[in-house]
Amino acid sequence: MNTSMALVAHFVRRELQNRYLGSISGSLWALMQPLAQLAIYGFVWAYVFKMRPPGDDASPGAIVPFLALGMWPWNAFAEAVTRSTTVIQDNAGLIGKVAVPRAVLVFSTAAASFLLHGFGFCAIMVALGLAGMSVHLLMLPVALLAFALLFLLALGFSFLFAAVQVFVRDLSQALGQIMPLWMFASPVLYAREQLPEAYRGWFGFNPFSFYPEYLRSLMLDAGRVDVVAQSIAVVVAIAVCALGYVVFRRLDPRFEDFL
Amino acid sequence: MSAIVATSSPGAVTDDTLVAAHGLGKSYPKVFRPRDRLRALGRLLLGSDIADSVPVVREVDLRVRRGESLGLIGENGAGKSTLLKLLTGVLTPSAGTVEVHGRVGALLELGAGFHPEYTGRDNIAMSAALYGLTGEEMRERLPQIVEFADIGRYIDEPVKHYSSGMVVRLGFAIVAALKADLLITDEVLAVGDESFQKKCVRWIEDYLDDGGTLILVSHSMYHIQKLCRQACWLHEGVIAAAGDVFEVTQAYLAFHERKLAGTAPVRDTIAAQGLEFHLLDLSVNGVAQETPLFLDRGDNLRVRARVRSRDGRAPVVAFGIVRADGSAVYGVSSEMDGVLPFAESENVYIAEIEFANLALLPGAYAIRAHPLDSEGVRLFDTLERGIVVRGHSREFGIVRLDHVWHQTPSPTAAAQDTRLLRATNP
Repeated sequence: MNTSMALVAHFVRRELQNRYLGSISGSLWALMQPLAQLAIYGFVWAYVFKMRPPGDDASPGAIVPFLALGMWPWNAFAEAVTRSTTVIQDNAGLIGKVAVPRAVLVFSTAAASFLLHGFGFCAIMVALGLAGMSVHLLMLPVALLAFALLFLLALGFSFLFAAVQVFVRDLSQALGQIMPLWMFASPVLYAREQLPEAYRGWFGFNPFSFYPEYLRSLMLDAGRVDVVAQSIAVVVAIAVCALGYVVFRRLDPRFEDFL
Repeated sequence: MSAIVATSSPGAVTDDTLVAAHGLGKSYPKVFRPRDRLRALGRLLLGSDIADSVPVVREVDLRVRRGESLGLIGENGAGKSTLLKLLTGVLTPSAGTVEVHGRVGALLELGAGFHPEYTGRDNIAMSAALYGLTGEEMRERLPQIVEFADIGRYIDEPVKHYSSGMVVRLGFAIVAALKADLLITDEVLAVGDESFQKKCVRWIEDYLDDGGTLILVSHSMYHIQKLCRQACWLHEGVIAAAGDVFEVTQAYLAFHERKLAGTAPVRDTIAAQGLEFHLLDLSVNGVAQETPLFLDRGDNLRVRARVRSRDGRAPVVAFGIVRADGSAVYGVSSEMDGVLPFAESENVYIAEIEFANLALLPGAYAIRAHPLDSEGVRLFDTLERGIVVRGHSREFGIVRLDHVWHQTPSPTAAAQDTRLLRATNP
């Protein structure tokens, strides 16, 4: 257990270093990219589409924290899942030559994404608070708990996809198409209320839709997420994580045969 | 089901076994089309095994105790590296079990586990973590590793700038610093230069003297004989011979000599089946295998050939013994001794011969069998099996002839001597 944690620490550090290896600004990019994304969406949403967060008659700028609370959890989730999907395949050289617990590779990749975007999330929330937006900074620790739950959900998908990818290489290609679709099928860039009445129920089938809504209710007092929805989210995250891990463990001994 | 049981505390072992493998096997699935991968995934998820697979290592039983040194030899593709990877847990066995106790230091492939973009120091840290060293142990041993590797300023450069020799130096330095209970190395030392090879060999010798345990794969019989006391010969995925290092390496070398000398006839199995008489199999002391059988001098040698006769007539069967270099030792046929092979079925005849109290001197030999037509005129087919007679002897030649030493001159010999003397000195 102890050695596994030491390995995770090594792999997380390496994963973060690898991404920005050779770039001058290093991991600053990790913070810059989502900020640029937020600026673009904020501008287009507020000034081109003239969108306002629902149930609020605030300034055009109020869309910014609303978007941020959707984009950071989504980025963490989507990046963790897509990067983990190919991690076993990408480390084929390591797997065939060194005795490395494969689950550590997946865990580290997902953890690196969440560390990076978790940190970015805190930074942007504090920055928005300081800029005078009505963000409940006191709720930030609870928001991070939600992030931890989202990590479990992402980990489940990561284990599942990483294992299947070894056998069926089409998965990572398909994910490239599915993930943007998934984002627009979730209340990331819009609110549930902005959907036509008939389609709102569909969010019930989307395990991700809970997170932006819960974070917005927490940090912006926008909408309510009841205890039932919260409990369902906890159960779903744990179930997905367990399922992903079970599948991963079952396929794990045969990875080397198909890499 | 297969399993790897690894305990990191050597104290947990009561006897001194460090590695125990039982019925160990590894096979790779045949994957030709992308569709096969999908089918394999489905089967594995449902908990059944993959139907079509090629065995690489089969039925290996191995036990290495603390303080032993085992050399693993065999041709390219015999499964040596796969076996090492099974023992070190890099690969998961498809059959059988492996138990490993204690910390294993493995040097399996050139630069295995090194990331080319990172410096030597970073890679040392990563390898240490993979071997399960704590951060503190790592810091403690870092100077030692850097000193042993002895690659100067390169230690702070990315590994992609290293020569292959430097990669091996770094790899060996890490393994040396591990203070492993068991050291497993594949044919990597050969890459280092002369002085580094010597340094490694000296280090391994010291390590063995201090009670270390070693499994070494090498094509250099010199290294194997120098460093190992036991040897194991892997042939086409199965253990062909195991035991004393000199016996096994000699048998292995003899096997290759025979192959090179071309004395082992290349047999076209399909063509042979078209012959009037062809050999179905040839077993020596009940064992029908291609790799040599080990015997002791004075053992009984029982050779049995099964011959298929196309038209059901009884064949004449000849057996012969040749030395590894091809020179004949002895040959005899059923017709010479007036014996008839007995019929197993309508078309299959069995000839069996026994050489009791084998007089062959230690060395490698081949047993050959040939079916001849019923008249004993035409020879049809040939099968050959190797045998190795173990033991040490300072006698010369091929066979031990029965002899008696007379320590007092017998009267007739004395008389002969005087006659001879008289003949030369009239």
